[in-house]
Amino acid sequence: MNSEFVQKWQSQVKKGTLAFILLNILKDNEFYGYELMEQVRKFTTIEIAEGTLYPLMNRLKKEGLVTSKWVEQESGIPRKYYQLTETGVATLIEMRVYWQNLETSIQKLIK
Amino acid sequence: MKNIEFNDKSAQKIYDSYFRRIRRTISVLAKSDKEDVLMEFNSHIYEGLQNEAEGGEVEKLLKLTQGLGDPEEVLKPLVAEKKLQQATRTFNPMHIFQAIFLNIKSGIVYSVFAILYICLFSFGILMFLKFTNPDETGLFLKNGEFVALGALKTSDPAITEVLGNWFVPVMFFSALVLYIIITLILKLTRKKKEE
Repeated sequence: MNSEFVQKWQSQVKKGTLAFILLNILKDNEFYGYELMEQVRKFTTIEIAEGTLYPLMNRLKKEGLVTSKWVEQESGIPRKYYQLTETGVATLIEMRVYWQNLETSIQKLIK
Repeated sequence: MKNIEFNDKSAQKIYDSYFRRIRRTISVLAKSDKEDVLMEFNSHIYEGLQNEAEGGEVEKLLKLTQGLGDPEEVLKPLVAEKKLQQATRTFNPMHIFQAIFLNIKSGIVYSVFAILYICLFSFGILMFLKFTNPDETGLFLKNGEFVALGALKTSDPAITEVLGNWFVPVMFFSALVLYIIITLILKLTRKKKEE
């Protein structure tokens, strides 16, 4: 096995799916940064530098897929909550369709 | 941003040094963007400390900062993107200059911008040179053919400078036009990217 090739491929797959994973997590709930990361960890085995999550959320925000708001906390350290926009929901649905098709094709191939 | 306070001195040091690194990485951003990034990382660390059950302050903090990664690495795309947003909004040459060089890695287009921008700066330098060294700076022709635009030391009598006192106004006007073109193309490419 060429493990270096597999590793590179895995890292590309992770990079390509992280946005899709995040949008799915935000589908029914709003989350703040740390919680969002915990959700990613709960549902997947993806290990990413958590710091990269924030630039990615910033990009999703710029694309109009999510909004964010700062919510004051008793501790004095506010949380930034992220939420899907309408465009975000519609985009996610489109992405899910694509994903399903891809999965079906791949299942057929690897049978 | 409200700082997190630690009882353990070593933990405080680690925290302070991590935030110094973040501040250094995002120093070129606008004030409100800076504050946003700092607050977001601070919130992540604070919530992590509350949620992590095991270990002392130092252990927990190290786990969290390692989880977040090196600020210089993880914040690079954010800094490049935000700077570009700011640059195309303001027309400020300093912001544009920084934005182009921060984005150079993301494509050949920005390398072209960088070259145009260097042209722009050299036009400025030439205007200055024309005052300090008028005979050796200008547009040089030899028998009606282009030889050089810039500073030239030559003993060839056939090569003559043709713009004279017009050199500074011509360069100034060219720089202005070049500047407007760069900024407009920058805006256009960004729009295209967003579509």
